[in-house]
Amino acid sequence: MSTLTEPMDRQLDDLLPRIANGDRRAFGQLYDLTSNKLFAVVRCVLKKPELAEEALQESFMKIWQRASSYEVGSVRPMAWLAAIARNQAIDIKRRFAERLSASSAELDEANSVAIMPQAELAMELTRLKKCLANLSEERQDMVLLAYYQGWTRDELAAQYKRPATTIKTLLRRSLTVLKECLDGNA
Amino acid sequence: MATLEEMEELAAEYALGSLPRAERDEAEAMIKSDPQFARLVRGWERRLIPLALALEPVEAPPQIRGAVMRAVAGDRPDASRIVSLERKANNWRWATLGASAIAASLAAFIAVGTTPPKPVGDQRYVAVLQAEGPGPAFLASIDLTNGNISVRTVGATAQPGKSYELWAVGAGRAKPQSLGVIDASFRIPAAKLGKIDPAALNDTLFAVSLEPEGGSPTGEATGPVLFTGKLVATE
Repeated sequence: MSTLTEPMDRQLDDLLPRIANGDRRAFGQLYDLTSNKLFAVVRCVLKKPELAEEALQESFMKIWQRASSYEVGSVRPMAWLAAIARNQAIDIKRRFAERLSASSAELDEANSVAIMPQAELAMELTRLKKCLANLSEERQDMVLLAYYQGWTRDELAAQYKRPATTIKTLLRRSLTVLKECLDGNA
Repeated sequence: MATLEEMEELAAEYALGSLPRAERDEAEAMIKSDPQFARLVRGWERRLIPLALALEPVEAPPQIRGAVMRAVAGDRPDASRIVSLERKANNWRWATLGASAIAASLAAFIAVGTTPPKPVGDQRYVAVLQAEGPGPAFLASIDLTNGNISVRTVGATAQPGKSYELWAVGAGRAKPQSLGVIDASFRIPAAKLGKIDPAALNDTLFAVSLEPEGGSPTGEATGPVLFTGKLVATE
C-alpha cells in the first residue's frame, strides 16, 4: 500500500462514516467525487450504455448500503469503491449480456481502454505493471481483457482459439506469477 | 473440500473477472459464508485494483445522480434495517435481479403498505421486474392453480409507436423466448413456458424489452432491455 494518501482518499475517508449514518449530503458529495471514475470502471465491462448506467446506479446503492462495513484504514477508499463497481458490472454482464446479445458481436469490440497519463499513475500501478511485464504479451492481454472487460474463460477461448480449460490454466499460472512478484516486492 | 490452493485460485479468478456465471455465483456464496475465502478475495482485489484506478474518468450521465439520490431518500443505510429488510424479502421469497437497487424500492413498497401477492401454497411464483429507482415496474406472476401467467404494470406505459415485450431467458433455453407483447391485461397460459418445474422456474430470468409497436419483428429482442427479474416461488 502506498504511504502517500491522496487528498481525495482523505475526503472519502471522512465521507464514508457519515454516509453510514445516513448523511445524504455526504453521499451526494461522494457521488460527485467518484462517479466519473466509477463510470469508467463499469463502462469498460459493459458496452451497452443502458447496462453501464444501471451498473453505476446499483453500485451507488451498494455503496450507500455497505458504507457501515467500510473500515477506515483497512483499504484505500477509492479501491473499496472501485471493487464494488467492478463486481456490480461483472455481475450484470454475466446476467444480461451473455444471454441477450450475440456474444460474438461483443468479441469484436475488444478495444483499448483509456489509461491516465503515466505521471499520474499511483506507485501501486507502476509495480503491478512491472510484474505484468514478467508475463508474455499474450498472457498480459488475457489478464487485461478479463480484468477490464470482464471476459470469461470462454470468451477468451473463442478469441485465442484455445480450449477454455487451457485458458483457465494460463490465467491461473499468470495470476500466480503476478502474486509472487507483487507480494515478493511488498 | 477445496484445498487452500484451489481456494486461492478461485479467489484470484473471481477478482480477475474471468469466472463464468455459475462459478462466480459459487464464489459469491463462499465470500458470504467463508471468512477465509473472503479474505483471499479481498487480497486479490487489492492486488489488481490499481488497474481499475488507472482508468481515465468518463463523465457519468447526469440523470444518474438524481436517480441515485431519489433512491436513497427516506432510506437509511442502517445495518439492522437492511437485515430486517432482507429477512422480509426472504420471507416473501421475492427475488429481483438488481437486489441492492431494488432494496430501496422494496422498502418503499413495504412502507406504503402495498400488499405483496398473497401466497397460495407453493403454487404461486412472482417476479418484480423493475428498473432502477421508483420508476415503473411490472409484476409478473404465475399461478399454477389456474395455469396462468399474468403481468400487471405499475406505472409503465410504452411511448407511442412502441411496445413492451416479455421474454423468458435461461433455464435451458438456447435463446430468449418471447412470451408476447404486454398490454393492459396481459395473461397467457403458463404452458407457454414449456414443462413447468420449480427448478426451471427458479432459473428463469424474465426480461422486458422495448420493441416496435406490436413486438419484435425478428423474434429476438431488438430494443433495449429495460426490466428484468427472477421468478421465485412464494410460500
